[in-house]
Amino acid sequence: MAKKQAMPKSAPGTHVSTKDIVNKKIAYTWWEPEVQYSWSVGPAMSRFLEELKNGKIVGRKCRKCRRVIVPPRMFCEHCYGPTDEWVYLKDTGSVETYSISYLDADARRIKEPILVGVVSIDGASPKHGFMHYFGGMKPEELHIGMKVKAVWKPKEEREGSIRDIIYFEPVKKGGRKK
Amino acid sequence: MTFLEKQSDPTSFMHWRGDMQADYLYTNGVAGNRFFAHLKKKDTFLASRCPQCKKVFMPPRMFCEDCFCDIPDKAWIEVPARGTVRVWTVATINAHGKKLKEPKVIALIDIDKTDSAMLGIIKTKNPDKDLFGQKVKAVLRPKKKREGTLKDILYFE
Amino acid sequence: MREVAVIGGGMTLFRRRLLETGKELSYLATKMAMEEAGIEKQDIDMVVLGSAPDAFDGIHIKGDNLVDGCAAAGKPYVRVFNGGGTGVFAPIAGWWHVASGVADVALVVCEEKMGSCYPHPQTAFRHIWDPILDRPLNPNLVWLFAMEMNRYMTAHDIKKEDIALVAVKNKRNAVGHPCAQLADPNITVEDVLNSEMMAWPVQRLDISPPSDGASALIYCSKDKARQFTDEPVWVAGTGWTIDSTMWTNRDLYFPQYVANAAKMAYKMAGISNPFKEIDIAEPYDPFDYKELHHMEGLLLCDKGQAPILTREGVTQRDGDLPVCPSGGLLGVGNPIAATMGQKVCELYWQLTGKAGKRQVPGDPRVGVGQAWGDIMQMGTVIVLRK
Repeated sequence: MAKKQAMPKSAPGTHVSTKDIVNKKIAYTWWEPEVQYSWSVGPAMSRFLEELKNGKIVGRKCRKCRRVIVPPRMFCEHCYGPTDEWVYLKDTGSVETYSISYLDADARRIKEPILVGVVSIDGASPKHGFMHYFGGMKPEELHIGMKVKAVWKPKEEREGSIRDIIYFEPVKKGGRKK
Repeated sequence: MTFLEKQSDPTSFMHWRGDMQADYLYTNGVAGNRFFAHLKKKDTFLASRCPQCKKVFMPPRMFCEDCFCDIPDKAWIEVPARGTVRVWTVATINAHGKKLKEPKVIALIDIDKTDSAMLGIIKTKNPDKDLFGQKVKAVLRPKKKREGTLKDILYFE
Repeated sequence: MREVAVIGGGMTLFRRRLLETGKELSYLATKMAMEEAGIEKQDIDMVVLGSAPDAFDGIHIKGDNLVDGCAAAGKPYVRVFNGGGTGVFAPIAGWWHVASGVADVALVVCEEKMGSCYPHPQTAFRHIWDPILDRPLNPNLVWLFAMEMNRYMTAHDIKKEDIALVAVKNKRNAVGHPCAQLADPNITVEDVLNSEMMAWPVQRLDISPPSDGASALIYCSKDKARQFTDEPVWVAGTGWTIDSTMWTNRDLYFPQYVANAAKMAYKMAGISNPFKEIDIAEPYDPFDYKELHHMEGLLLCDKGQAPILTREGVTQRDGDLPVCPSGGLLGVGNPIAATMGQKVCELYWQLTGKAGKRQVPGDPRVGVGQAWGDIMQMGTVIVLRK
C-alpha cells in the first residue's frame, strides 16, 4: 500500500563539483568522438545556395495556399503537395525578432556581441524568412520591424553558403549604401 | 510534377560538410568509481554480489537489474584479475576500416569467481590459435601510471 | 479506453553533475517510485523510457544503456523522445500502455545526464540545428529563446520586470524541494535584472540550469488501483501536437501547437473553462518568459495576460491559480526529460497531499502539466485529477 508521506522526502544522488573533477577526487573517462558528415542539401537548397552565389535570394511558390516560401522547399508542408515555381525575392526585409548575444556556440562569453535574428524577406509571404546576423549598426539601434538589406560577400568569395550574405544592415534612407 | 522535372541532374545537387563537435566527460558512477579506485591500487578486480540472487557482477554494480535491489557495501568482494576465454575474434582492420599492422585478438573473458564476462585484448604471438577455454590473466599498467580508467588494463595474456 | 491511475513517483537530486551514471540515476528514481507505490519489479508489465538527445549523455542510442536501471530488463520496453517535450510525452506514452489495455502496471522513467557534454551542454545543442541554413552561423540555442522572448515581449509590450517575477517565484518555490539545484529564498527582481547578460533579452537568472537527474512514475489500471492505494490520482486527459520545422516561417509570439495540445487534453478531461477548473498548473519553464508563454498556450488566460496574473500574485502557491509550485525548471533544475518530476510527479504529489513544504493549500483536485520541445514546435499536455 502506498505510503502517505511528503515525497520526495529526501533525494538520492551524489553531487560532484568541478573542483572534484579538477582535483581528480573522482576518476572519470574522457572521450572525443570523431565523426564527420556530408549532408546532401536536396534540390530546393541546391538552387537556393547556387542563387546566393549570384547574389540573389529565391523562394518557391505554392499555388494552392498561395504562399511564397523562403527558405524554399520542393513540397509545401501545409498543402502536402509539390510547390510550383521559383520566385526571385528581394535582398531586403524586416527584422522579425532578434537577440544581442554575448555567448558563442559553446556558451562561452564573448566581448563583442553578435547581433542575430530572423529577417522576413521582401517578396515572400508575411513572416517568411530565415535567421541571420545583423551589422552596420549599433546594438541599441536594432529593433523589431526595422528595414534591412543584405550585405554580400564579394562575388569571387561566395561559395554557395548562407554565409555568402555577411549580414543584414539597415536600409539607408535616400538610396543604397555605397 | 515539380519533383521529377527538377531532379533530372543529380550531380547539380550540393553537399554540405560538417562534423559533430562535442567532447565528453563520463563520471564512472557510484560503483564504477569504487571499481577504478580499487584498480588504481591493487592488482585484483572488485566485484559485487547481489544479496538476493547471489549473482556476482564484475565490473561491480550498485544494484541488481534482475532483483532490482541495492547491493550493499558488505557484498563487495575482491576477485583475481584472470579468467577464461568464452569467445574470441581476430580483427584485421581498425574502426575506420584501415588495415592493422598486426592482427588484434579480442575476446570475451569469463572472470574467475564471478558470473560476469568482460571484453579484453589478448596478447598472443599466434593469433591463429584456437583460444576457446584458454586461461588468461590481466596485465595492468605499472601502479604509478594508473589513472582510474579501463585503459589501466593493458591486455590479457 | 481504460481509466489510468498514478500510484507512485520518484526523483533524484538535480545537480550540474552527479557521480551516478545514467543507469544508476534511473535506478534510484525508479526504486523510489516503486517503494511509494508498494510494488516490485515483477509487478511491472511494461516500461517507457523518456530521454532527450543522445548527445548530452554522449552514449548513442542511450536507451539500451539505461534499461537495466529502468527495471526493463526482460520486459516490453520503448523509448520515446521529442526534445524538451519528453518530460510530459513519456508519461503520455506510459498512459497509452495502460489505457489501451496492453498493460495493467506501467513504469515511466525519464533520465538525462547533461554534465557529460563538454565544454558545455550547449555544445550538444549545436547538432540540433539545420546543418545547411543555421549551423554555418554558429548558433547558440539561447539565441532561439532570446528571439522568441523578444517577439513575445514586443507583441504584448511586456516589461522584463514582469517576466523576472516568474524566476523569483519559481526559485523561491523550489526552497521546499529536496531535489532543487537553484532554490533561493531571498532572490529579488533586481537580482534577475542585474544578472549577467547572455543573449538579450535573456540574462543568467532568466534561465534554468543544465542538470543531471532522473524521475519515475508508475501507472496502473482502475481495477488494480485499489490494491495499491486508497487515494488514486487519475489521468483525465492528454494532448500533444507538433508544428512545422520552419520556425522562421511562423510568428513566435504565441505557441499555437501548445494550444492545440491543450484543447485535445481538455476535451478528453471535459474541461471547458481551464482557468476556473484547473487548481494547479505546471507549465514548462526552462526560461522565465516560457512560463507566461505557456500559460497562454494552455489557455489559462488570454494572450498577453499571463504577466498581469503573475504581477497580481494569482500564480503564487497560495494564489487562485498556483503555477509551478514545484519550483519548476528555474528552481529545481532542467535535466531535460527528467523534468517529468516537476511537471507530472509534482501534480501527483500535490493532488495526494504529499507535497510537504510545497503543498498547495485548499485541497487541489485538478492539475495540468505541460512540456515543450524540439525546435520550438512540440507541445505536450497532461491533466491529472483526483
